[in-house]
Amino acid sequence: MEYEPVIGIEIHVELKTKSKMFSSAPCTFGKDPNSQTVPLDLAFPGTMPVVNEEAVVFGIRVSTALNMKVARTLYFDRKNYFYPDLPKGYQITQQFHPIGRDGFVEINVDGKTEKIGIEQAHLEEDTAKQIHLSDISLLNFNRCGTPLIEIVSLPEMHSGLEAMKYVEAIREIVAYLGVSDGKMENGSLRCDINVSLRPKGTIKLGTKCECKNLNTIQNIRSAVDYEVKRQSEILDAGGQVEQETRRYDEGLKQTVLMRKKTDAIDYKYFREPNIVPIDLDEGFIYDAIHSMNKLPNAYRSELKADGLSDYEIEELLKNQDFVVYFEDCLALGIKNSSTLWNFLMVDILGYLNKSQKTLDELKFSKENLVQLVNDLTSGKINSKQAKEVLAIMIEEGKNPTDIIKEKGMEQISDTGEVEKLVDEILKNNQQSVADYQHGKDHALGYLVGQVMKMSHGKANPNLSKELIVKKIGPCIKPTNK
Amino acid sequence: MTKLMNKPISELHELLVKKEITPVDLVNDCIAGVKSDDCNCFEALNFDGALKEAGKITEIKEEEYLKGIPYFAKDNYSTKGIETTASSNILNGYVPVFDATVISKLNRAGMIMVAKTTMDELAMGGTGTTGHKGSTLNPYDHSRIIGGSSCGSASSLALGLAPLALGSDTGDSVRKPASNGGLVGYKATWGRISRYGLFPFAPSLDAVGFFTRNVLDASYVLSALSGHDRNDMSSSYRKREKYENYVLGHKTLKKIGYFKAVMDSISDKTIKDSYVDLLNKLKAKGYEVIAYDYPVELLDALYPTYMIISCAEATSNDANLDGIRFGPTAKDNPKTYSEYMTECRTKGFSDLIKRRFVIGSFSLLSQNQEEMFSRAQKARRLIVDNLNRFFDSIDYLVQPASFAIPKKFSELSTAWSTHPDFLDNILTLGNFGGNPSLTLPMAFESGMPLGINVTGRIFEDGYVMGLGQEIENITGLKNLTVKEAK
Repeated sequence: MEYEPVIGIEIHVELKTKSKMFSSAPCTFGKDPNSQTVPLDLAFPGTMPVVNEEAVVFGIRVSTALNMKVARTLYFDRKNYFYPDLPKGYQITQQFHPIGRDGFVEINVDGKTEKIGIEQAHLEEDTAKQIHLSDISLLNFNRCGTPLIEIVSLPEMHSGLEAMKYVEAIREIVAYLGVSDGKMENGSLRCDINVSLRPKGTIKLGTKCECKNLNTIQNIRSAVDYEVKRQSEILDAGGQVEQETRRYDEGLKQTVLMRKKTDAIDYKYFREPNIVPIDLDEGFIYDAIHSMNKLPNAYRSELKADGLSDYEIEELLKNQDFVVYFEDCLALGIKNSSTLWNFLMVDILGYLNKSQKTLDELKFSKENLVQLVNDLTSGKINSKQAKEVLAIMIEEGKNPTDIIKEKGMEQISDTGEVEKLVDEILKNNQQSVADYQHGKDHALGYLVGQVMKMSHGKANPNLSKELIVKKIGPCIKPTNK
Repeated sequence: MTKLMNKPISELHELLVKKEITPVDLVNDCIAGVKSDDCNCFEALNFDGALKEAGKITEIKEEEYLKGIPYFAKDNYSTKGIETTASSNILNGYVPVFDATVISKLNRAGMIMVAKTTMDELAMGGTGTTGHKGSTLNPYDHSRIIGGSSCGSASSLALGLAPLALGSDTGDSVRKPASNGGLVGYKATWGRISRYGLFPFAPSLDAVGFFTRNVLDASYVLSALSGHDRNDMSSSYRKREKYENYVLGHKTLKKIGYFKAVMDSISDKTIKDSYVDLLNKLKAKGYEVIAYDYPVELLDALYPTYMIISCAEATSNDANLDGIRFGPTAKDNPKTYSEYMTECRTKGFSDLIKRRFVIGSFSLLSQNQEEMFSRAQKARRLIVDNLNRFFDSIDYLVQPASFAIPKKFSELSTAWSTHPDFLDNILTLGNFGGNPSLTLPMAFESGMPLGINVTGRIFEDGYVMGLGQEIENITGLKNLTVKEAK
């Protein structure tokens, strides 16, 4: 039988706030175990949660970026269960009134734009980390209380590819917003994926399995594809899919059973009594939204309008610093965006990678780079010279105008002067002139090259070419008889 | 034996300012009193720390009303460096690393904490018999309860061992024992005083409370404790007030109400007579006294509503007591985390606490939540809406704080009442609504004190104090300790 996979995804995103969701302890990674804690993080009796304003701002931004309605009043609830990594014996979350609801994200699958619905986004806190040794388990509470935003999609995806694109889109958005590292490999973005199958054309949802432990974007696709195959085989054999939590095993390239969902925990949710409902001021929401970073899709449409190819755009978007830098340069008045792209993504990126530096550390200003691009575009210098100037700018931070002057690179663009050179070359290269006139068009390049050589590279090549053609043209190719 | 600690703060303050006594004298007097305790009032003692603090004080100015005065704190306030157990075995050996906000505030005001007081285990209970140190006795009659949960604080003040003791009030845990001990017991408006560092029982009902032996002292303490705290989001940003000005300036509102159903249900003749007499005297002083029809079915709902909400919140609040990070650890070599927690919690909590946890958990389970917890929340809403309707036209609710003299230990039963008397739960109204509520002595019966309660609109703590002073003037019952009363 033919099945339609139905996929819903819950994504936990760790927010990179300065302090924790409900305590003043810093959210710093890699410190000594249990050094990043205050009494609340260890749930000492009498401690009380205080909502982190920065996390709320981040929550508003994520909700807005995902086209959601932002709650005007914040409520928090307790999710009660016993576990060693949960010191309070409950997690504070937003079970009943999430900060954002009813949104969507646009993804691009095989060149087509698709909208994936998002049910809600809610703020909550992370748990401690457990380390199990052979005879003892250790607890590190540094992560405990780190703010999380959980983004819950609608079950609207139908393939591993879509699932992967969806997570990629969310990852890109949270990274661009600056609210999270969004790194799956270090756990700052974690996905739980629910997969079920139903006979194609039917509506009722099948029994779902939840997949965890997906620590790369590619694994999402592999896990979903595997799960679809596994469930199809069960159904085809006349069996029934059991509700399970499974984890993706990277070595086996399979999902493997973690636990059956027979005795699900009753979390006994109820309103957190220590946090009275918080009415968000309209001005507060306005400020949070209007100080948001530009989102990837906004860059995409702008850069497309600026004439970049899809490839060029996607390459730029891989690094937010570069796309911001690029647009800053455009705003300064660039005449050729592809030239800028080349300088930035080939020469400058190459240099930065090699020297392990960032854009901030460049010695020259954006204005100088723009000047260089425009000098090349206007023909003041040629592209070989431009690369040479750029190399000097990178090394010494001098401005391009000075470099061009010092190196005597300024092109001869005066028609009279160039004409003299052209006449001289034409006179001395009669054979090439004849070749050109008899259809050997590559002879033109040779003649232009001679002019350049004679002028020590300063003659404007376009002007030279123009004058030569005017004087000896046209190039008549022999007709086939 | 104490010579000084039975005096009100105002008198001690005057002696301190005039340098007739020193804070060290007061602390020594207080320590002597604590040592003489025959009612089981105390948990951890802070004698050395208190003497050290007292020794640092060299000068006390006229306006430093609380400076140099010893006090006690209920054992559910987090005190840095001093063992704090909430009278529960599950917290034996727990030494907090931080001070509750009220403790730091009193410290900064120059007050000196000498000892922690016994309580019903984790503040759950109204008898003063369930703490890990056993029953706390009523100084007026050792065969009777002082009531709880702030039992040690109440008995120590009735004994005259200090002029102030902190308590906490979730149902009536300050205001009922105050009645049983001839004391002033105050529960502030929910949010007026920070709860940071108060071990939670049921946060939506919990309030910082305290005992003094006169209303003026209480008003000064309230001024010192109130205000917003960045560690407690539920603490109010409202401007702090000088509550003593209401007391000293006789600032009161004019309309006093009582519930007809309550008046009609009082069977104790002394209580009824004193109550009616008091209302008449207030009328004579120009107050309007109004009988009000508060729905009886809502009064009957007080007990089940209180039990479900408080137990539900408690089961969650006390889930942190799992033996992993503090408190006694498991001994029987548990194999799994759940065995570990189960062992710690099984040994650490008394059966009465476990019963409350079971009820709380049961009422929160998804299959029961609608019928139990949500229904209790709706009942609470109705109770509070109707109380607010009362306060729309009336300024104060004045009613007895207890309706019989305190029970004998021999009369107590741990069985759940199937037909609770709403009179026994009437003070929970103030917790449901978060209202300021003050108990002070009204009369004596068979040598046992009985209290009257004044409850006001939220954040009208000052006016409640003001009327408290008026009533204190009428009854003349103030600065009572067991010796003076006898």
